[in-house]
Amino acid sequence: MLSFIARRVVSGLVMVVAISVIAYMLLYAGGGDIARQLLGQDATAETVAQKAHELGLDQPLVVQFGRWVAGVVHGDFGASWFTSQPVTDAILSRLAVTLSLVLGATLLVAVVSTALGVLAATRGGGVIDGIVQVVSLVGTAIPNFLIALGLVLVFAINLGWFTPTGYVQATDSVPGWIGSITLPVIALSLGGIAAVTQQIRGSMLDSLRQDYVRTLQSRGISARSVIFKHVLRNAAGPALAVLGVHFVGLLGGAVIIEQVFAIPGIGQVAVTATSQGDIPLVMGLVIATGIIVVLLNLVVDLAQGWLNPKVRLS
Amino acid sequence: MFNFRKRVTATVAGITLAAIALAGCAGGSSSGTAKAGEGTLTIGTIVASSTFAVKDAPWANESPYLQAVYDSLLHLDPDGTVKPWLATEWSYNDSKTVLTMKLRDDVRFTDGTKFDASVAAENLLRFRDGTSPQKAYLATLTDAKAVDPTTLQLTLSAPNPALLSFLAQNPGLQESPKHFGAADEKTDPVGSGPYILDKTATVVGSKYVFTKNKDYWAPEQQHYAKLVMNVYSTPTAVLNAIKGRQINGAPLTDNSVIDEIKGAGFTVNGQQLNFFGLLLFDREGKMAPALGDVRVRQAINYAFDREAMLKAVGKGYGDVTSSIFSPDSSGYDPAMDSYYTYNPDKAKQLLKEAGYAPGEITLTQPQSAAFSPATYALVKQYLGDVGIKVTYVSVASSGFLADLLAAKYPSTIMQLQAAPTTWQTLALDLLPNAGWNPYHVADPTVAELAKTIQSGSDADATAAAKQLNKHIVEQAWFAPWYRPQQTYATDANTTVKTQTGNAYPYLWNFAPKN
Repeated sequence: MLSFIARRVVSGLVMVVAISVIAYMLLYAGGGDIARQLLGQDATAETVAQKAHELGLDQPLVVQFGRWVAGVVHGDFGASWFTSQPVTDAILSRLAVTLSLVLGATLLVAVVSTALGVLAATRGGGVIDGIVQVVSLVGTAIPNFLIALGLVLVFAINLGWFTPTGYVQATDSVPGWIGSITLPVIALSLGGIAAVTQQIRGSMLDSLRQDYVRTLQSRGISARSVIFKHVLRNAAGPALAVLGVHFVGLLGGAVIIEQVFAIPGIGQVAVTATSQGDIPLVMGLVIATGIIVVLLNLVVDLAQGWLNPKVRLS
Repeated sequence: MFNFRKRVTATVAGITLAAIALAGCAGGSSSGTAKAGEGTLTIGTIVASSTFAVKDAPWANESPYLQAVYDSLLHLDPDGTVKPWLATEWSYNDSKTVLTMKLRDDVRFTDGTKFDASVAAENLLRFRDGTSPQKAYLATLTDAKAVDPTTLQLTLSAPNPALLSFLAQNPGLQESPKHFGAADEKTDPVGSGPYILDKTATVVGSKYVFTKNKDYWAPEQQHYAKLVMNVYSTPTAVLNAIKGRQINGAPLTDNSVIDEIKGAGFTVNGQQLNFFGLLLFDREGKMAPALGDVRVRQAINYAFDREAMLKAVGKGYGDVTSSIFSPDSSGYDPAMDSYYTYNPDKAKQLLKEAGYAPGEITLTQPQSAAFSPATYALVKQYLGDVGIKVTYVSVASSGFLADLLAAKYPSTIMQLQAAPTTWQTLALDLLPNAGWNPYHVADPTVAELAKTIQSGSDADATAAAKQLNKHIVEQAWFAPWYRPQQTYATDANTTVKTQTGNAYPYLWNFAPKN
């Protein structure tokens, strides 16, 4: 087990390094005149050149990248060129915000998808199954930003139940925090609920056709016990894999959702920093996101092994 | 067979109701009615603070952050009139190259350091040598020194007619000298201003919170106990914040939502800060020979139906014009707004007189996401109608400005500042070394008039400014269409006065309505 974990961690680190190199090259190639972007249209050419020199942008790519790597090795990720905030502070202060959205959405996806998937599978072919199928299809088809805008319009602006924008720290006000993340979490979840519900429904239907189900039923074991102790456990493996992939997708989805709700998370800053060419901040985000994805994959692999001994053996 | 549907439904309903109940407890963040000096002012901004280090600080969109924590040597009234602030009196020598200012002696920075003339001199020289986008405002400052603790003397290499106005903006901001070069200088300001940045409550890049400086020397300027500045990166987020009554004021980047804003009970405060149209850079015809002929440039001006452009692109918010001069500028002349009218026949005639057959002239212009595809299509159509072909080269937004300023294109669609002073218009757009004169075109009339504007009496300078405006319009250095309305929305609890030359009202011009 330990060697398995070690192998996954090492391969994950290699992946993070490779992504960092590629991201830096892409940012450098597409960055345009960053000093000009920083200073705007009124700055003189001399001032722009002075700013470029100050940021080291007048150096060759290799030198710039080497300086960045040297800083990272010493734990210094630099500071944002556009807000002057140290990159580490910028990411850490936003990570909790984004994770609260993504974890909340993942929890919602897991609970609702399981309920709907089981409901649809056990009512296979019936009206409820049909409704769940249609809802899943609609949930997959509608982009989450449209859902977000609709939720804001109805529940925040017209009904006034929630605040349309902004984020309240849980340490400041727990009700405020819940109020500020409810709509974003729902908007973020709907696509995932649609996908994972379908996965659970399909896996459940496969499992329900297996001989062992009939055997268990013939022994007089309750339907609830058959479904939740046996069938759902067998169906959970593939669903967990989909949920894991979806968690990564939620990180991407948060980019848009945080923009709509003006929530100060990783997604919002990623969009802004990338469009501005804020290389230190984008690189910090690339590394942070890479590490999260590597760790998440590791957790999913371990959970799969826990759920299914066959996976552990392979 | 399996009956747990009711339980699931009940659980989901319970969670939803609980969330709604909790959210209801949270309430909004915008202040209601408050007495002056109390309550919270929550405003929306469209950019985060890039730095609090005065030597590198930009103005315009970042002015609210800086005005919260720093004092400036002078103040500007909403109409642009210069008023005393840290400097109480000032005078120039006869050649307008030495400015002597008398300073207050009762001001301290929030770290306890006393403000005096040597601190002011140090701040000015630091700004001149820093990397602020406006550092050129102090380009002619050769020295700044303290004659005594309350007397500051600035020496200039040449007169700067807009200097007093500049000293009321970022060049005149005063930062504690003990904080110069500090590791946190860019993110943790130390000034003598009306508010102090609350670092604990601030989320850099998203939300900036300021609390009242209890020792402030001018408490009548502190209209609120607390300031909150929320950064909104999309127009949709601003609109939602307004409709949700989460903010007291915000700039609008899209005038098409004005009716919705009014419907939400907000007041729309309009002003005109920019001009929108074509910049005809290559007036000597180096890259596009046809643009070297004034008749061709005039033909381009006659080719556009400005009213239609304003309606189609600017949603009708703004005023048509043929001039780049602001109504706030000494060079403004209302007659120049209607100098060129829509006259395609005259445009064709001028092109014929210049010796160009229909379709013979091709203008290559950059196209970026900065402006709508409709704008590019209209330009192509209007110029095509008089026989000028336009081809667009797609340019990434990140490189758009740099390409324009590097003289890569002979002309372009652009929105630029209609500067509040004639001297700024000269420095930004017209003089050979001006950034927006990338081909460095030198014109003897412009040079002569600039001399008078720089060094002449007020009356002579004003007359020269108007002549300059007329000359530039007649020579068709630009083909402006209109001055778009810049809109700042405020809620029913807030009064505000817009600021000449600045997209954001100055902080002390916000006040609770009651």
